[in-house]
Amino acid sequence: MDIVVKKIILEVKKGNQEAFSELMDIYKDKVYHIVYRMLGNVHEAQDVSQEAFLRAFMNIDSYDTNRKFSTWLFRIATNLAIDRLRKKKPNFHLEDQVAGTEDLTYYSQFSSDEELPEDQVVQWEMQEWVQEEIMQLPPKYRSAIILKYLEDLSLKEIGEILNLPVATVKTRIHRGREALRKRLRHS
Amino acid sequence: MACSKENIVLIHKYLDNEMTLLEIKQFQQHINKCSDCEKHLQELRKTEAITQSASHVKAPSNFTENVMGKLPKQPASQKWKHRLRKHPFMITAATFFLVFIISLSSAFGGDGNDIVVKGDGHFIVDEQRGVVVIPEGEHISGDLIVRNGDIEIAGEVTGSITVINGEHLMASADQVSGEIEEINQVMDWLWYETKAFLSEVVAFMSTENEENEENN
Repeated sequence: MDIVVKKIILEVKKGNQEAFSELMDIYKDKVYHIVYRMLGNVHEAQDVSQEAFLRAFMNIDSYDTNRKFSTWLFRIATNLAIDRLRKKKPNFHLEDQVAGTEDLTYYSQFSSDEELPEDQVVQWEMQEWVQEEIMQLPPKYRSAIILKYLEDLSLKEIGEILNLPVATVKTRIHRGREALRKRLRHS
Repeated sequence: MACSKENIVLIHKYLDNEMTLLEIKQFQQHINKCSDCEKHLQELRKTEAITQSASHVKAPSNFTENVMGKLPKQPASQKWKHRLRKHPFMITAATFFLVFIISLSSAFGGDGNDIVVKGDGHFIVDEQRGVVVIPEGEHISGDLIVRNGDIEIAGEVTGSITVINGEHLMASADQVSGEIEEINQVMDWLWYETKAFLSEVVAFMSTENEENEENN
């Protein structure tokens, strides 16, 4: 494992909170990205990824420094995301009103200080569309697909994160890939 | 759709780079003949490309602060512990300073309570009263240092008088041509010692320089 990361973790284990913020700066984007792709919603993504870091801090003593930290952390994050999906009420949409506001939709939650050029709009729509397609996958395929194609992790690592044998990971990726293919082939 | 279920499995195996060279060769031969399988493979490749094109979203800017704010509060003593561990020179400096203070304040009292006088000339040490007396008509040229006692000046002193842990008593001010200094507080004492030490160092270094110059 990265020596710098290991050093920081040893500091955190000694009870140094400030070191934990360094650890967060290294991993926050990855954790947030995985969780966002799992949940498809910025608010829940922020909520769940914060929760993931809090749990990681609370349970840092149970982390074995001989193993890869990112695997351990991603496991906490994906478990929390899957829990959230189980409890989740029916999907809501970006066009929905934010609770307790007059005419604020979830679109306005995206920061956009300037007018987006057309190609950026197209790109953004493309991103939205990819996310929507990922959201259509059953969660167990979704997590495997995200870890493989968006995080570029090996099957072995994915297996460790999801606590599954490699053969099962492979099957889930194959099935997820087939499901996506059926939806995307006509685009 | 691929021609058979077995071939779908093969396509995935091919995509996962898990085929031997022989298997790849056989698979490619089949693809060349079977348009269904070829189409299926193309669609899966496109699917992979689209999925991978999803950009990486970044955590919100205040993410770290938010989480740090939610962590259980640490007791202040622990924060200090970490700060000290991070800056070991603080301990070194503090320890050094402590040792410095202790050694000097123990030296403040001097060795026992005997009166010590440094200087040339005729004076009387009255140990019972704890007073150094410079009798009338006596003349002391040079500086005088009295430790652990008062000084009574009736005669004349051409030089400075320093009284450590004591007081000076005299008939009139113009009997002493130099300065009179009384040191009764530890802080004064420290200042005096430091000054004396530094002037010694300076003197030592300047004599050394002179010696060097002479040697040259």
